[in-house]
Amino acid sequence: MNTFRTGGIHPPESKLTGNSPIEVMPLPSELAIPLSQHLGKPAKPVVKMNDEVKKGQLIGEADGFISANVHASTSGKIKAIKPHPHPGGQYAMTVFITPDGKDEWAEGLECAPADWKRLSKQEILRKIKDAGVVGMGGAGFPTNVKLSPPPDKKIDTLILNGAECEPFLTADHRLMVESPEDIVTGLEIMASLFDGPLKIAIGIESNKQDAIETLQRYALPKQIDVVSLKTKYPQGAEKQLINAITGRIVGEGELPFDKGCIVQNIGTAVAVCEAVCRNRPLIERVVTVSGMEITRKKNITVRIGTSFSDIIAFCGNMSDKTNQVISGGPMMGKAVFSLDVPVVKTTSGILFINNLALGKSMERTCIRCGRCVEVCPQGLAPWLLANVAQLRHFDEIQTLGLANCTECGSCTYVCPSRRELVHWIKYAKALVANRQKRKSA
Amino acid sequence: MISDVFIPAVSSLGAVALALGLIIHFVSKKFHVEEDPTVKLVNGILPGVNCGACGFPSCGQFAEVLVETRNSTMTCPVGGADLAAKLGEALGMTMAEPKPQLAVLLCQGNNDVARQTAEYLGIQDCWAATQAFAGPKQCRYSCIGLGSCIAWCDFGAMRLENGLIVIDKDLCTGCAACIPACPTGVLVMQDKKASRYFIACNSRDRGAATKKACDAGCTACQKCVKVCEDNAIVIEEFLARIVQDKCTACGKCIEVCPTKVNCIRLENDLKAVKQKQAS
Repeated sequence: MNTFRTGGIHPPESKLTGNSPIEVMPLPSELAIPLSQHLGKPAKPVVKMNDEVKKGQLIGEADGFISANVHASTSGKIKAIKPHPHPGGQYAMTVFITPDGKDEWAEGLECAPADWKRLSKQEILRKIKDAGVVGMGGAGFPTNVKLSPPPDKKIDTLILNGAECEPFLTADHRLMVESPEDIVTGLEIMASLFDGPLKIAIGIESNKQDAIETLQRYALPKQIDVVSLKTKYPQGAEKQLINAITGRIVGEGELPFDKGCIVQNIGTAVAVCEAVCRNRPLIERVVTVSGMEITRKKNITVRIGTSFSDIIAFCGNMSDKTNQVISGGPMMGKAVFSLDVPVVKTTSGILFINNLALGKSMERTCIRCGRCVEVCPQGLAPWLLANVAQLRHFDEIQTLGLANCTECGSCTYVCPSRRELVHWIKYAKALVANRQKRKSA
Repeated sequence: MISDVFIPAVSSLGAVALALGLIIHFVSKKFHVEEDPTVKLVNGILPGVNCGACGFPSCGQFAEVLVETRNSTMTCPVGGADLAAKLGEALGMTMAEPKPQLAVLLCQGNNDVARQTAEYLGIQDCWAATQAFAGPKQCRYSCIGLGSCIAWCDFGAMRLENGLIVIDKDLCTGCAACIPACPTGVLVMQDKKASRYFIACNSRDRGAATKKACDAGCTACQKCVKVCEDNAIVIEEFLARIVQDKCTACGKCIEVCPTKVNCIRLENDLKAVKQKQAS
């Protein structure tokens, strides 16, 4: 079975919601839609307070090349535009909409499925851009930018990422089982943008047999490979997935297109299909609500902008023992600091965790066991990076491959001394960036 | 037996050492660099902590440049006026007097008055905390209160008290090393004056949001602006600021400030604030 070459771990899968069909969550009483749900510059608001908006109407316009449009998730009135907690940990400009309950589509969006094969490449790319589609795996890179690599880079492999290697998360899994047609159509649309021979593959971990079988039925007739991958974390990281499927190694400072590859997420493929065939912007996504401390664990389709507290109310109750609510997966996700944070385009899961027993950071010293080196998929020495970060030797740390760390969390997971290795690396990255900013200023 | 090994070993190593010693001696004579004795003198006067406040990486470099250029405007902020006089004496010229500065914290949001969002369990460092979220306090402009700056201060002038950094103004030399250590930019350098006021708040939020987050926040109510006879207080981005050149330290603003813990702080005499808190 295919897998990536260096490192990797196998945490308990805990896919509690793997067999729960996707439910649609009813409209909440208020939506808070951040203008920054993607990598790059936040969108520019194009609505004012008290404006009436329709479902799918543009409320934030992409500001610059790497930026994305933001749309109203339902029809209603703009209540306010102000900073609000964001699942990324900061405060971000957010548009508040009070739904009017009619849930009316804006003009031109409620149309019959169009035949995408008649569209030119420019039209397809424009439609993806207008719909505000971004990478839905977590980073939120604007999809239209990713699909237009520099002309000197020859793309010969398009990979769809169905690995979903994070424990607990099952949103992509259920999408693969429930809407394989949309996924394959989305993939075909993306593939049509590239000239020349193109290898198309869908990588799925072997713990999702039903998804592999379903997609094989739809994908194989269209010359799309479905690759079964060994269950190993971080199989779904871009560089590791490329290595697992093509054997190529994306080195330090390189991007996937330097090796002729483009990787897209399952949710992104569905969003591309919706955008191009049905003209619909990205206003909802599938979210896994899981963890030990919530009564009803499920996969739900929610509107972008629904607050975590509304989702808790829909999924029963969170127990008193919950001391962490994580947006994303347990390995790479972030604990949120307020339950008012909304679901954004990149929120793949919401986990309710009880780790009270762990208490405050209880770091002990490194015992040089080398397990972090063993599991690092990027071939780094995390203990060394953390030690140098602690000493604040920020010139030296850059020579140790700091920029190459993908923050997958494997090292922190295996460390017997419970050192916060990834956190120290993030700390070093922040201070290096700050120093460079100060130097250039 | 032993002497068979011992004598040749000692004599051969001794010969090598002698040869190397002679080489070192001749090289040091041949390539001798005449060092200006004044550099050594000046270097001896300087504090020797290599804090970098003067803009040079070390005291030694400062001394070299000073002796070479004889630039009277070069100052050592740490040493102050005394040191400037000594330097002038050593160099036979009058040195400009340094404008002593002081690091001040524009925040009074200690754990009693600032409301928290979530408890932070990670690495106890401000920069590490900002990687997870905006900081444990609701106000995102506040002092995070995990004390990153303490480690950057060469003079031990900072300590953590009740979730807030306290700067010992006698120990602070104004070297500004702590400024880049703060992720929220709530530490700033200000002129050291005998008596002066400053607004100890950094919140750029609107008044209502500031009040919700902290009892000691400036709500931009304009009361101090109206009462100030010297027009020394301006409000920018929902935050009052005292123009230090105009302020005569009359203390009228302190009396009108409505926040529970007074935001306007008098550096030398905190009596007024304390009285107000007691009443």
